[in-house]
Amino acid sequence: MTALLIFAILALLLVTGMPVSIALGLTVFTFLFGFSDVPLDAIALKLFTGIEKFEIMAIPFFILAGNFLTHGGVARRMIRFASSMVGHWYGGLGLASVVSCALFAAISGSSPATVMAVGSILLPAMVKQGYPAQFGVGTITSAGGLGILIPPSIVMVMYAVATSGMVVQGPDGQPVMSASIGDLFIAGVVPGLVLAMMLAGTTTYRAWKFNYPRLPRAPMIDRWTAFRDSVWGLMLIVIIMGGIYGGIFTPTEAAAVSAVYAFVVAVYVYKDIKLSEVPKVLLNSAAMSAMLLYIITNAVMFAFILTSEQIPQALSAWIVDFGFGKIGFLLIVNVMLLMIGMVMEPSAIVLIMAPILYPVAMALGVDPVHFGIMLVVNMEIGLCTPPVGLNLYVASSLSKLGLTEVTRATWPWLLTMLTFLALISYVPAITLTLPRLLGM
Amino acid sequence: MLRLLDRLEEVIITVLIAAATILIFLAVTHRFAIGFAADMVGFARNVEIDGLMRFARATFKFVNGLKMTWAQEACIYMFVWMAKFGAAYGVRTGIHVGVDILAERLTGARRRAITTIAMSGGVVFTAILTWIGADFVWHVAKGGQVSPDLELKMWIIYLAVPLGSALMCFRFLQALHMFWTTGEMAHHDHGAVDGLDEEADDLAKGGQA
Repeated sequence: MTALLIFAILALLLVTGMPVSIALGLTVFTFLFGFSDVPLDAIALKLFTGIEKFEIMAIPFFILAGNFLTHGGVARRMIRFASSMVGHWYGGLGLASVVSCALFAAISGSSPATVMAVGSILLPAMVKQGYPAQFGVGTITSAGGLGILIPPSIVMVMYAVATSGMVVQGPDGQPVMSASIGDLFIAGVVPGLVLAMMLAGTTTYRAWKFNYPRLPRAPMIDRWTAFRDSVWGLMLIVIIMGGIYGGIFTPTEAAAVSAVYAFVVAVYVYKDIKLSEVPKVLLNSAAMSAMLLYIITNAVMFAFILTSEQIPQALSAWIVDFGFGKIGFLLIVNVMLLMIGMVMEPSAIVLIMAPILYPVAMALGVDPVHFGIMLVVNMEIGLCTPPVGLNLYVASSLSKLGLTEVTRATWPWLLTMLTFLALISYVPAITLTLPRLLGM
Repeated sequence: MLRLLDRLEEVIITVLIAAATILIFLAVTHRFAIGFAADMVGFARNVEIDGLMRFARATFKFVNGLKMTWAQEACIYMFVWMAKFGAAYGVRTGIHVGVDILAERLTGARRRAITTIAMSGGVVFTAILTWIGADFVWHVAKGGQVSPDLELKMWIIYLAVPLGSALMCFRFLQALHMFWTTGEMAHHDHGAVDGLDEEADDLAKGGQA
């Protein structure tokens, strides 16, 4: 009953279009003042201490690092490298766009920015080469979403933040350790590569079927220069992953070091950004991080209310009693998240839904890392589904095609992503093998 | 006067994010430097070069003497301040995302009504926070609590909440006023990427992608 009330208030507030963070906060206060006797002081304390964790501070650093390298010049280098490597295969520029999206998204961390950067360079080139605009739009819209699956990923940090410190029990009654940021990053590598390959496969198949043009094979020397040009950007991922896995630094330190590295590369190596433009990048990153941190603060209060009303526990007892089992539960979660993903932004969804779903998943014996990656894949699909998939909007404004047209163009790749989601949900080995091999 | 406030807000958050980044970077570098200096001492002892030995010892002593343990705490507090003021800046630039499918479909008086409700929600929430925050800071100040590493007065750090919320409340009122008078809302473009015009120009000149 209480759960329904809380979510009804939240839904009502969200529908007005107010910022998600504000809606979360107001829900908490409405509930507190109107229907509950949780003391206000407890909430006030959460308000202050909610974001006082060093792990959360990885978010502003990752955003800063990404923003330094979210630049047309970096996109061009990735595209040149990708097309020199795979352009001569079936799918030509289409395949190259999937690879460039994967590379650029991994560095910038923003899906819409990836669609914008890669799309505005590659779409005109593809149309000029005789590809239908729909084909290009489909590849870029879907591959642009890879950013949140390939580490470093803000959404993964959000999941780690939302679930860390939750005391939950596995099916055997033993407490379950929540997933760390490092675990999630490492676990995201293989699924990210598999999805990129599946999207590339769909692209190649369609290009072969409709006989789209291919590029001439690039000479080795071109490949080498293109690689040397793009390697500075790609090193960012190596620093982060190597640093975290090698135990050299914590994720937050890795993020800060990568931000400094990105600054040096953007300003002194690539010279895409002038020193005088740096404050603007800083300001934008600060505003973006502040927005996310604000959602986190309020989501922490919201989660606190849920927990103090025993809602996740009640839900998990109910689901376990109902006998959905692991398979049924994961199916329900996927359908539900896909639906919410159609209208809300990834970080917010993870922060709101993870505290509720996580205890249930653990009670059913789902691995915390596997569950996190599954959520992230859901979010990724949400970016490419109407009515509010950000990637669709960007692709639509780039290609001058209507939103419906873009959605239809993306369909084959969307289907690929759904297949991938099923695979990730029910074959945990894809996610968990690499972290286990590395002994995490 | 308002321009000054806008500018101050921007400068505060820009400086805070830059300072926090540099601070953590230095802290990491410092940790490596300790390890490096220790290795150097070991090396000098093995090869028995007296001058190098003295130099290595001095370096180690110096680097080890610099304490950076407070860096994490300082970073957290800087980001807390950045988050509160950045959120206010975000209201002005329209960066806070909501679920706007319903509002987007409505027109005329209905649109006006629903957006007014949405923005008033922001005003009410931030007003409550300012009040709760001020009350909380008052109690902390009386308790005289200090932070563990830096030994700063906690009430000064927590002041970010009432101050930031008050500023945010003001920004929501401003946005509401603007919406009523001009019908416009600030909107942040989440897909914005710099330097794409130059790339498109290159392409137009016949360069290949």
